[in-house]
Amino acid sequence: MNAVELTNVTKTYGKHVAVDDLSLAVPGGSVYGFIGPNGSGKTTTIRMILHIIHPDRGDIAVLGMRGTRAANDRVGYLPEERGLYKKMTVGRILAYYASLKGMGGRESKAAIDEWLERFELSDWKNKKVEALSKGMSQKVQFISTVIAAPELVILDEPFSGLDPVNLEVLRSAILDLRERGSTVIFSTHDMSVAEKMCDSIFMIFKGRKVLDGHLDDIQAKYGADTIRLRIDGGRELLQGLPGVERVADMGRYQELRVQGDPQAVLRELVQRTTVQLFEIARPSLHDIFVRIAGPEAHETSDAPAEVSHV
Amino acid sequence: MSKVLSVAWSEYLVAVRSKAFVIGVLFMPIMMGAAIFIPMLLEGAADVGDRRVAVVDGTGELFEVLEAAAEERNQTAIFDEEDPEEQVEPRFVLERYVPEEGADDAVQLTLSDRVREGELFAFVEVGAGALEGAGDASVRYFTQTPTYEDLPRWLRGVINEHARDVRFEAADLDQGLVAQLNRPVPFEELGLASRGKSGEVIEAERENELLTFGVPFASMMLMFMLVMSVAPAGLNNVLEEKMQKISEVLLSSVSPFQLMLGKLVGTVFVAWTLSLLYIGAAIFLLDYYDFLGMVPMSIFAWFILFQLLALMIFGSVFTAIGAACSEMRDAQSLMTPAMFLIIMPMMMMQPVMDAPDSSLAVTASLFPPATPFLMLVRIAIPPGPPMWHIALGVFLTTGFSLLCVWAGGKIFRVGLLSQGQAPSFAKLAKWVLSK
Repeated sequence: MNAVELTNVTKTYGKHVAVDDLSLAVPGGSVYGFIGPNGSGKTTTIRMILHIIHPDRGDIAVLGMRGTRAANDRVGYLPEERGLYKKMTVGRILAYYASLKGMGGRESKAAIDEWLERFELSDWKNKKVEALSKGMSQKVQFISTVIAAPELVILDEPFSGLDPVNLEVLRSAILDLRERGSTVIFSTHDMSVAEKMCDSIFMIFKGRKVLDGHLDDIQAKYGADTIRLRIDGGRELLQGLPGVERVADMGRYQELRVQGDPQAVLRELVQRTTVQLFEIARPSLHDIFVRIAGPEAHETSDAPAEVSHV
Repeated sequence: MSKVLSVAWSEYLVAVRSKAFVIGVLFMPIMMGAAIFIPMLLEGAADVGDRRVAVVDGTGELFEVLEAAAEERNQTAIFDEEDPEEQVEPRFVLERYVPEEGADDAVQLTLSDRVREGELFAFVEVGAGALEGAGDASVRYFTQTPTYEDLPRWLRGVINEHARDVRFEAADLDQGLVAQLNRPVPFEELGLASRGKSGEVIEAERENELLTFGVPFASMMLMFMLVMSVAPAGLNNVLEEKMQKISEVLLSSVSPFQLMLGKLVGTVFVAWTLSLLYIGAAIFLLDYYDFLGMVPMSIFAWFILFQLLALMIFGSVFTAIGAACSEMRDAQSLMTPAMFLIIMPMMMMQPVMDAPDSSLAVTASLFPPATPFLMLVRIAIPPGPPMWHIALGVFLTTGFSLLCVWAGGKIFRVGLLSQGQAPSFAKLAKWVLSK
């Protein structure tokens, strides 16, 4: 069963089309990544899923409930811009958010204690939020999202501003949610995180869906057109290689996009310099993102974006 | 409904646990107590040093009279009534000043310098014709402490009394007869006579100041104070949620209307808590001083009802303003018209109390934003307005408050997720009329 189903959903603000005829199905129990540049329609889509705003056209079903916010008690949401009541204690905030999800007092108390212990925040339960560090506040925000054991968790940029230690804690908690059977949707700009965590990826660009499907399938569709290499000498040695469309400097290596035979590229390179690394790879999600939403895409932005259904 | 109550309970707890609430609760009794006790305390600590006054007596006879009166006052009227040993008022010490020959112009300057140097507190020039009321009949009082009024008041009284005696004597009138003829006519202020259950005539009772002025005035002031202190707090809370980026999380759990309704209910709970404290204290004091029987109990019920309606109106208006703005500065400019609607009934209070059945009072008390204040005043003044006035007022105000909640809810829904500049009134109207 799909946790979320959008059918031909459109939302406009004045003359601006924020989301254009979007159809999407998020399977239950999956971790689904929403990616796209800023202003592409991610947050609008998420808000419509939560019925915070309503679509102009189209149909939205969440956890089997169609067109109402009835399922919202079973959905946890962490918006991109989030805060906490500074003067409230941690325990009081979590109890309040749990009660808004229809959770009883005794039940929520047990859940609060369990989550605070997991994030090593038990000592802070009766402290006011203003006394917390940024990392602690972010953990409390996350707990407030999942305190009522939601079946669907929607996280908008959950990792932004987190240090590596806290990022790992949160990543592990999200994967645990999936283990427990929850569906997780999260939007992110961090493609490496999306690659590591998501079963499926949905990309929206200028309000339209441009990617949707399993990550492997998406990468397979783009084929093994990427060469990662490290050579002795400067970048000028890469000029005029046969079939090379684009060279991207990734710091420790160069990434080439090739149309044609990679072996011909290798042969040419060996004649020019010493090759330390040569790897034929599928494009990374980052590369795919840039191909769709980067400057190259802008050059042809008047044309409708290519839609990859995989 | 449980979510509305969750929001309301949270709002209530935040409000009553805040320092502002505690200060607010204590503020009024402290202010009232201070108004009573501080002057009493200061009375004991008042400056009772001698007030030395120079008198330039043009009449040639007034100084002796003033001196005798001052002497009598200094011996009898400046001590504490309960403790005759303790002096609570300053002595008035008079000094005759006779100008030197040919130095008339310099008299005021000389005496003014002595006042400036602290030798004198003041000086008085009495015109030669002051007692007869002819020629130079004026009395001029000079001081650099014009705020101290006891001394000029005392001088005025003594001089006028003596002048009256002199004039009566000159006119050959018997002072005893004059005093008898001047006796004021007894004048009583009464309510209305009525007929009892068994047909007997119940005599009109003497007008009761507490009932005719105290109750309406106190009801109105309490209503004003509660609405002013509680309703705008809703704006601050919503604005804080918006600025702290909390609103969107809340909206993922409750609908905008549930959220706003919860906030309104929380506001009403806070106001009722304050009312309970203040009204409870008022009932206790009235009972303690045996005045409780004079205050109709129905006024408390009307107070609670009208307070509910006022908070629905102003609570939803302020909450909507908070949602529509992103900064306190923007909110303040939108608040001005709403604040005017609260203050306007205060400006109308006196005319309504003077003539509670005038067409102005009736019209103003049926204007929905003013009804909770002014209809309450009219009800509190015996015998009160006709029942249909009250019913119409409640009906119109209930309708208006529902309209405010509905319109406020529409603005709240759109405004809560909007960012940037505060919307214009035209834009707010567009939000209200949007689907």
